[in-house]
Amino acid sequence: MSLRHIFAVVRKEIQHILRDRSTFVLVLLAPTAMMVLMSYALTVDIQHVPIAVLDYDRSPTSRNFVQQITAGDDLDLYAQVSSMEEIEVLLMRGEIKVALVLAPGFASDIRSMRGMPLQIIIDGTEPQSGAFAVEHVGWRAEEFLNQALSAQMGALGVTQGISQPIDLRVRAWYNPSLKPRVDMIPGLISMVLGFPALSVALTLAHEREHGTLEQLMATPITRTELLLGKMIPYVLVGLVNVIIIPLLAMLLFRIPFNGNFIVFFLLSAVFLFAILGMGLVIGVFMKTQPAALALSFLLIFFPGFFMTGIFFPIASMPEVMRLEALGLPGTHYAIITRGVFLPGVGLDVLWPYGVMLAGLGVIFLGIAGLFFRKRLG
Amino acid sequence: MIAERSTIVTENLVKRFGEFTAVDEVSFIVHPGEIFGFLGPNGSGKTTTIRMMLGLLTPTSGNVEVLGVPVLEQPEAIRSRVGYMSQHFSLYNDLTVLQNLRFYGTAYGLSNDGLNQQIDRALQMAGLEGRESIRTHELSGGWRQRLALGAAILHEPEVLFLDEPTAGVDPLSRRDFWELLYQLVADGVTVFVTTHYMDEAEHCHRLALLQRGQIIASGSPDEMRNQGMHGQVLEIESSDSARAVKVLRAAKTEGRLPLESVELYGSLVHVIAEGVESLQDALALELKRSEIESGRMAVIEPSLEDVFIAYMRD
Repeated sequence: MSLRHIFAVVRKEIQHILRDRSTFVLVLLAPTAMMVLMSYALTVDIQHVPIAVLDYDRSPTSRNFVQQITAGDDLDLYAQVSSMEEIEVLLMRGEIKVALVLAPGFASDIRSMRGMPLQIIIDGTEPQSGAFAVEHVGWRAEEFLNQALSAQMGALGVTQGISQPIDLRVRAWYNPSLKPRVDMIPGLISMVLGFPALSVALTLAHEREHGTLEQLMATPITRTELLLGKMIPYVLVGLVNVIIIPLLAMLLFRIPFNGNFIVFFLLSAVFLFAILGMGLVIGVFMKTQPAALALSFLLIFFPGFFMTGIFFPIASMPEVMRLEALGLPGTHYAIITRGVFLPGVGLDVLWPYGVMLAGLGVIFLGIAGLFFRKRLG
Repeated sequence: MIAERSTIVTENLVKRFGEFTAVDEVSFIVHPGEIFGFLGPNGSGKTTTIRMMLGLLTPTSGNVEVLGVPVLEQPEAIRSRVGYMSQHFSLYNDLTVLQNLRFYGTAYGLSNDGLNQQIDRALQMAGLEGRESIRTHELSGGWRQRLALGAAILHEPEVLFLDEPTAGVDPLSRRDFWELLYQLVADGVTVFVTTHYMDEAEHCHRLALLQRGQIIASGSPDEMRNQGMHGQVLEIESSDSARAVKVLRAAKTEGRLPLESVELYGSLVHVIAEGVESLQDALALELKRSEIESGRMAVIEPSLEDVFIAYMRD
């Protein structure tokens, strides 16, 4: 292995990145842009859900309840209707996502403390809005009942020794405000760092397409030197992103970085080694850039979304998928980033994931080296 | 013995891709300091052979030795001693002239003064001094070809492999390119070059003619001229040469005239036959019957193109 040969390839790759504006953008700016866009798109708070109300009671109490429930930014009163048929039409047209039906005797039931005869109809094709509405209405209903109860007690002259009938306090650790963003961003980093891997796969396919790979193979540069030389610049590029992205997360989204940055940086370097190894495997097997692009989406981005536990917990996946997830660098890195960012855990806890990543990297590089030889015939 | 004196020896080289035999029992020897031409139409197996000679492709069977090194066993051992210019323009388009040269120089293990010296030499040879910072995609075909040659000889190789180096380059640039090759040969470099331009064969010291993966003839241009022809070449001017070729070929197949071959040669017709001079009147008559006026007729020295066509028809 000659350092001079590796250096020659590294310098050439860096020149490519700097020369070619599209690579430059893809590699350095796209991750940042993606990060910002995706974290907004994926975590927009649900607000202004249009609802329809069918009030059979038509009492001051029922009108009061509807007014309270639609007072904030969460639910908007889209229509007052007078029949179930109207609700169905509005739901079908997609004009409302949720409908409330207040049964006859709404006021008297509350007054006599028999509960609240309320029906919530949600559009099951959009479960997120529905679930949000159910939660929100439930919470407002409790509040409303508590108020009604207090008022009644007050009217009876009882002012002391009353406790709220329901008093539930939820506290989310590490992410006290429970904004989804906070949880998403560490996970997103692992996906965003897939871009250098995509680039390395593309450069290899590009050289094959343009015939420069054949020319390279005729030089004394060995296959291992070539693969390492291609990998190193993108590890560096990735590490630039490793610095930029946490800064963005902290400054733009006010996400606390509770861990040790050096630990995060080191583990990120190991992750880049693994994911770039995967990129090289893709580049070795695919003969054209479109093919390399397609396979990168299949192997890097798609599993990054669905199989690394960013969106769906791995524990809830079927056995086969869980095993597959173990072979994906993103799975381990998602755990690392989340751990470093929020609870601020250190190497003492995270080292096994680092070891897994290093192992995966070695395996990928080995596969790339082994089959690279054969692909040239 | 032969391996010691010869720069390249191939023995019964065969390459099959599935059912298809791309290279079929190819054997030849290239001597030190000569330009050896590998001539054949597209798809005749030229590139496949060159790749096997460089150890980039494993032959199905057969043997290759370059500079006394068995390429199959030690492909790495010849890398730094040979230069290669692959078929398509093989430099990096998005990099500058200097960046390309520096990369290939470093790839071949050059550094510091040695590297700078060789880069200067290559720039001078390619005539690209002062244009080091131009990106290569901005260069025209002829310049790129010379630059690629410059990159291939940075490490002063003993043998140069050139795969269709002049494909798609204008005639003037092609001539300049051959001038450069002669300079290199004068410096002691052995050149193995493939081409499908028949006229370039004249530039080579020795040739092998390849068709469907087989060598169908080899030797110096003169040897091939003498061996390959059955008969002499008669050049005919006519009012409609394209139709004249059809008419005369029909006469040949119907056995009315004892002709070896009839070819269109630019705006002229070349007829090859034993004792063709005595057939002049018969040929004129045959053409006249189809209302084609024949003009001047003359027996000429066969060109290599005539020879190759004769070989390929056999």
